[in-house]
Amino acid sequence: MTLGALLAPYLAFAGKAFSREATYRMEVFTNVGSLIVRLYLMKTVWTALYAQNAAPTDVPLHAILTYTAIALLMSLVLEIDGTRAIRDHVREGTIATDLMKPISLPLYFFSDGLGQTLLHATLIVPALAVSLLLVHIDLPAPPVLAAFALSFALGYLVNFLLNFLMNCVAFWTLETFAIQLMVRWASDLLSGQIIPLIFFPGLFQTALLALPFAAIYSTPLLIYLGDIPPSGYAAAFALQAGWLLAFAALAVVVWRAAQRRVVVQGG
Amino acid sequence: MPPIIETRDLRKVFRSLKRRPGMGGALQTLFSRDYEDKVAVEGVTMALEPGELVGYIGPNGAGKSTTIKMLTGILVPTSGEVRVNGIVPYAQRRRNARTIGVVFGQRSQLYWDLPLIESFELLRAIYGVSAERYRANLASFTELLDMESFLRTPVRQLSLGQRMRGDFAAAMLHDPKVVFLDEPTIGLDVVAKEAIREFIARVNRERGTTFILTTHDLADVERLCRRIVLIDKGTLVYDGEIEALRDRYGNFRTLVVQLSEDAPEVAVEGAELESREGDIVRLRFDRRTISAEVLIRRVAEHYRVHDLSIEEPELESIIRRIYLEGYHDAPAPEEGR
Repeated sequence: MTLGALLAPYLAFAGKAFSREATYRMEVFTNVGSLIVRLYLMKTVWTALYAQNAAPTDVPLHAILTYTAIALLMSLVLEIDGTRAIRDHVREGTIATDLMKPISLPLYFFSDGLGQTLLHATLIVPALAVSLLLVHIDLPAPPVLAAFALSFALGYLVNFLLNFLMNCVAFWTLETFAIQLMVRWASDLLSGQIIPLIFFPGLFQTALLALPFAAIYSTPLLIYLGDIPPSGYAAAFALQAGWLLAFAALAVVVWRAAQRRVVVQGG
Repeated sequence: MPPIIETRDLRKVFRSLKRRPGMGGALQTLFSRDYEDKVAVEGVTMALEPGELVGYIGPNGAGKSTTIKMLTGILVPTSGEVRVNGIVPYAQRRRNARTIGVVFGQRSQLYWDLPLIESFELLRAIYGVSAERYRANLASFTELLDMESFLRTPVRQLSLGQRMRGDFAAAMLHDPKVVFLDEPTIGLDVVAKEAIREFIARVNRERGTTFILTTHDLADVERLCRRIVLIDKGTLVYDGEIEALRDRYGNFRTLVVQLSEDAPEVAVEGAELESREGDIVRLRFDRRTISAEVLIRRVAEHYRVHDLSIEEPELESIIRRIYLEGYHDAPAPEEGR
């Protein structure tokens, strides 16, 4: 079979997920609306903190506002959990019908998630336009932007695998709400999505930067701001790729066990 | 021709953690390593020829869907052999999936949010159906199932009958050799049921597709199948032609009597009380031991009768008897047949 024929189903899954998401227009617009509100609130808080001199002085206000805006734009795609279909299909029992198709299910969920992501990625343009009315966003040099894009892509994959692993818990518990809530809280705080990790003190900061959550938001954002200089790119990418590989290996093990569980327990 | 589906001593045992009652029990269960074995399928041996349309019948929990899951490759048998199209399904799940189709009455494989036609296009990509074959099949199924008017409607807006027709087309687009049908007419009205049955019969006849039909609606089976496989408590009870069953049980009749007075207890020599609902009494008799005329006279002697009729056994009552009494205890076929 040719590569094209092998990939055809997965391209189709991504395409269908894209058009499916597009049918939920209201949700799509709400996402942009909520982003703008969050950006406005964050701007108010940071401006007030800086006016009181309560923030670290080595990061200027315009940099922190840029950080906040870019983090929110990134969340448009990173908050899409394409693999929640795993949990739904396990709960509804349709995972059995999925297994009756000649496809790889992890790849199916990945392409479906990618399609959803791509639709939400189109929102970045209007969201960016409105954001620029609220805050000034610094634009780094093209090589830095390229490094940011690569780091963002690695973070996207780490985020995908993290979601995949959490949703696979459903194979054992049917329910994943509690664990997802916990991981979401942890990652909101520890990934640097809201507060830059470089604001945390000493040893704590070092630990947080090494965690997988940092690979999702913090690393690309710090590259964007220039807090990770070009000389630090290799190490930053290596750490992200390390987490990516570790999660991928774990995902393979978990998926095998999950499949065996379906096969033993019967869907 | 070799059988298209073959199982030998197929067995499936589910092992689950033993649960204890109560709160303390729940806590114990958490740390316990006590397992409980439940046999779902116990030594099923059967063979299907290509092009057969077989009814796979059994009460709830008899092991029907466990068998189907083993044939589709999503369950591994505890022991025994299984082959579909010469492929061992659980060993080659994806390869097996290319040659089979499935229709579940209770769950759809269509994309809920998208127009019906888009689900078909997706399935085309999944199975790698050539453009030519896809066009031909789509045209043929659209006509046979009368789908033209709702091809572009999102699946969530379809009626159950329309959705089922869509599901049938979806399962057939890649020309599967074997199709598993699980309660395909459940919840449908009579017209929709007949349309689906006609479609199955036609595809079976014209394309030689093999069908395994699992259902509780025996009218489906009577209309479509010559052969049935009966399973109960995981064991094969009967495998053969429906006609043979009818011949075997064909001597039984039911006399339905409507009484015009209130009789506290009804007993008639030579017949067996099958059921009683109010003033309607059902008496079963064997026409080799007692004639209808004699029985009616006996009933009329003892009770005041308002109305009566004689029913021939339906497949449903035959099968109910087999579940209750077992096949081997059944009366022998009439002499000379």
